Amino acid sequence: MAAKDSPLKQFEIDPISNIEVGGYNISFTNSSFAMLITVLVITLFLTLTVNTRSIIPSRMQLISELMYNFIAQLLSDTVGDNGKRYFPFVFSLFMFVLIGNMVGMIPYQFTFTSHIIVTFALAAVVFIGVTILGFINHGIKFFTFFYIPGVPFYMHPLLIPIEVISYLSRPISLSVRLFANMLAGHTLLKVFAGFVVSMPFFTGVFPLAFIVALTGLEILIAFLQAYVFAILTCLYINDAYHLH
Amino acid sequence: MPQLNPEFFVSQLFWLAVFFTFLFVFLWRVSLPRIATVLEKRQNKIDENLSSAKELQEQAMEIEKKINDQINRAKLETDEKIKETINGLQEDVSSQLSSLDKDLEKKVSDAEKEILKSKDDQMKNINNEIVNITKLTVGKITDIELSDNELNKVIETQKGSFN
Repeated sequence: MAAKDSPLKQFEIDPISNIEVGGYNISFTNSSFAMLITVLVITLFLTLTVNTRSIIPSRMQLISELMYNFIAQLLSDTVGDNGKRYFPFVFSLFMFVLIGNMVGMIPYQFTFTSHIIVTFALAAVVFIGVTILGFINHGIKFFTFFYIPGVPFYMHPLLIPIEVISYLSRPISLSVRLFANMLAGHTLLKVFAGFVVSMPFFTGVFPLAFIVALTGLEILIAFLQAYVFAILTCLYINDAYHLH
Repeated sequence: MPQLNPEFFVSQLFWLAVFFTFLFVFLWRVSLPRIATVLEKRQNKIDENLSSAKELQEQAMEIEKKINDQINRAKLETDEKIKETINGLQEDVSSQLSSLDKDLEKKVSDAEKEILKSKDDQMKNINNEIVNITKLTVGKITDIELSDNELNKVIETQKGSFN
């Protein structure tokens, strides 16, 4: 599978500098490099564009403000006033996934959101955080989250396990959704890129045109998945406040 | 599938933790407060402008009201003055007319009196002339000298048939 021109080769991790601490391999890899680029882009953009703090914003400052308002609106729509405390976290999550996806759209650039371990770690942080939040807000009553009121009593032995399973599968669905979308999109691009090279004469322009269109679609998906990640996080936070 | 190769799992998680924590703390402490300040500043400015605009509007409305009041008052005053003037003029005219009427009446009656007087005088003269002419005529024709009284009586009796 790891042939030289396999479409999955782009997901291989190459260490840039080998680091080992306490027997653990924590090498700085191309994935880490993509994360570094992502964090630099976000922090520099959000800092420099708002540097002048002008009341009448420049175009770049307006972009930062739009992103701020976008997530602030999302949080207040789904969670309400309680959501303001989680704004920095949801905003960081959204920006990290969004710019991570966008950086991945640059040719030859690694996409760290196409690695299940990364998306799962992000989803696990959300899941564990929301669960802790639920217990802080409701104590032991948080378990009533799995009890659906207004259902005939004999249905509960069936419904409660389903609710528990669906709750526990949240981090999996959250992480796999992002990972699979990125994996599929980039694989598809690579497959078509292979066609461009292997097709005879000038017929390669057709898959090339397809790649151009797919790139547009992938940029849309990159935004959409970041949005979905953020809005689901908001919904989970909301669940931790309002059980049913 | 490289994603399922656990060789770099620890490395991925480590660097993810490092970079995401840095990003989170940086945004939380530096970037987001900056944007929030700008947005707040702008909102304050907008609110300020709106409230001052409202104030100015109220002031303008007050001034307009005052102006309208003054215009109305001035109209009423001018109307009254016009009425007063018209009334005064009418009174003047009617008094002058009546005085003129009186003058005219007086002049007319005076003239009538004078005419009557002159008519009487003329009648007397005519009578005298008639008497004299009759006296002379009768004297020349008949040599009878008539006295003035007799003649006057005759004339008086005849006068009725003339008139």
